[in-house]
Amino acid sequence: MSAAQQSTPTSGHLEVSGLCKAFGGVQAVNGFSFDAKPGEIVGIIGPNGAGKTTAFNLVTGVYTPDSGSVVLDGVSLGGQRQDQIARQGVGRTFQNIRLFKGLNVLENVMTASDPYADYNFFSAVLALPAKRASDRQAAEKAREYLDLVGLCGLEDDRPESLPYGLQRKLELARALALRPKVILLDEPAAGLNPSEVREFIDLVKRLHERFNFTIVFIEHRMEVVMNLSHKLFVMSFGKLLASGAPEAVRRNPEVIEAYIGEEE
Amino acid sequence: MDYIYSILTLTGITMIGVMGTYMVTGLTGQFSFGQAAFMAVGGYVSAMLALRFNLPFAAAALAGSAAAMLAGLLVGVPTVRLRRDYISLVTFGFGEAIISVLNNSAQLTGGAEGLVNIPKRVDLPLVLLSVIGCLLLVACYKNSKYGRQCLALRSDELAARSMGIDVNRLKLVTFLFASAITGYAGVLYAFYAQYLEPGYFNWTVSAEWLIIVFVGGINSLTGAMVSALILSSLPELLRFASAWRIIIYCVIVLIIINYRPNGIFGDWEISRLWKKSAKGEKA
Repeated sequence: MSAAQQSTPTSGHLEVSGLCKAFGGVQAVNGFSFDAKPGEIVGIIGPNGAGKTTAFNLVTGVYTPDSGSVVLDGVSLGGQRQDQIARQGVGRTFQNIRLFKGLNVLENVMTASDPYADYNFFSAVLALPAKRASDRQAAEKAREYLDLVGLCGLEDDRPESLPYGLQRKLELARALALRPKVILLDEPAAGLNPSEVREFIDLVKRLHERFNFTIVFIEHRMEVVMNLSHKLFVMSFGKLLASGAPEAVRRNPEVIEAYIGEEE
Repeated sequence: MDYIYSILTLTGITMIGVMGTYMVTGLTGQFSFGQAAFMAVGGYVSAMLALRFNLPFAAAALAGSAAAMLAGLLVGVPTVRLRRDYISLVTFGFGEAIISVLNNSAQLTGGAEGLVNIPKRVDLPLVLLSVIGCLLLVACYKNSKYGRQCLALRSDELAARSMGIDVNRLKLVTFLFASAITGYAGVLYAFYAQYLEPGYFNWTVSAEWLIIVFVGGINSLTGAMVSALILSSLPELLRFASAWRIIIYCVIVLIIINYRPNGIFGDWEISRLWKKSAKGEKA
């Protein structure tokens, strides 16, 4: 990418504070706060059902928070639609992979950059030169992203025919095409085997070096958490339990209790 | 000869109507049970303008398509927010409402007796030209960012929104485009048949178009066109067994849906042929 992106990042500052969301009588997220400075890699951990994915869904606008604020680079994302939030630079992947089935691998990646393509309806239906140039560029860019995650040569394949590990990578490539300032990864290493996990850690590090975006991820695998995160937030019953440097958090007795259960 | 000529013309008009259904159902995954109503709007508006104001055919055609698009806007704005199953209800209701309006405003539309003496301005060459023209427009639409985003939202709306796709807007744009194309099919029909009656545009026509799209392959424009060609001329070709033709037609449809649930063509497009050969040359 450009030189500007390789220098110290200035954008991608995500501040989330006092997030609350109840579903009926269940308080899924209860005053949860976290922040990620530009270029930081932040991990969110916590027991199952702690509200981590709900927190992601609140940040990306899938649900509207009952209260609390989400601010990206000083701009409030509250009250914006899901697609508007995405276009402001919040990319994401999903815990249960959600690729577009009717499209091939290359088109899956292109769709994420399509909202930025600036040609109108008439150049589309008449296939005017502006449209063709824009699409060619988008395809080239998409190939570049596929190359980065190691999916080169699979452009014409159907996403559902790819093995699980590659589907995860494809989701990552698709999120890259959105040109995110912040990228949210929801259990990106779930279902990967140990060698795939190591490969995945390297991949995220490589992408982070190259694009310098902010990464927030939810993960259970300690190997991923300890290797990647600069900062950790622990969530339990919708609340923030602890936060800080990964090593310190790992030794925090409260966290151990909530996460693994009390030591005998 | 005249007979074959007229079958081909009507088949061509059906193909254009099916393009509208393909866009709404195949691209965005919404079930339109009132697509034929847009054809009625296009046909009636253009025919009435030609009859009452002596508008030349080209202007009337344009106005007919525009009116269908306007009707599309009327239905589209509230429906794009709805879930898929509700959309079929709303479009169905709208379609039947249009038929009622046409039936009951007899002074304007001739009511159930129909609108007569429409000048003949459409013949087979014009219909063929229109089919090719519309097909190119729709194929380019499918092959653009619009088509890609439509297919994305059809497969997974939540993920599509997360990729920055303005789902509601895109559904509306596609719906309007489909309405205009279907309206144009109505214009062609009016100026070919020289006679319009509301009963021709009821929900069974919309349902037939849906069947055509499903048989051809919900993901394939090529499939929709081939199956429109076959299924809309089939009842005519089976005329020798007039008592049985509807049954034969239904059996064929059932067999196809049963053994090829993704339709005859699945998601195969004819454009892959030349895309592949272009790639081969590069390699």
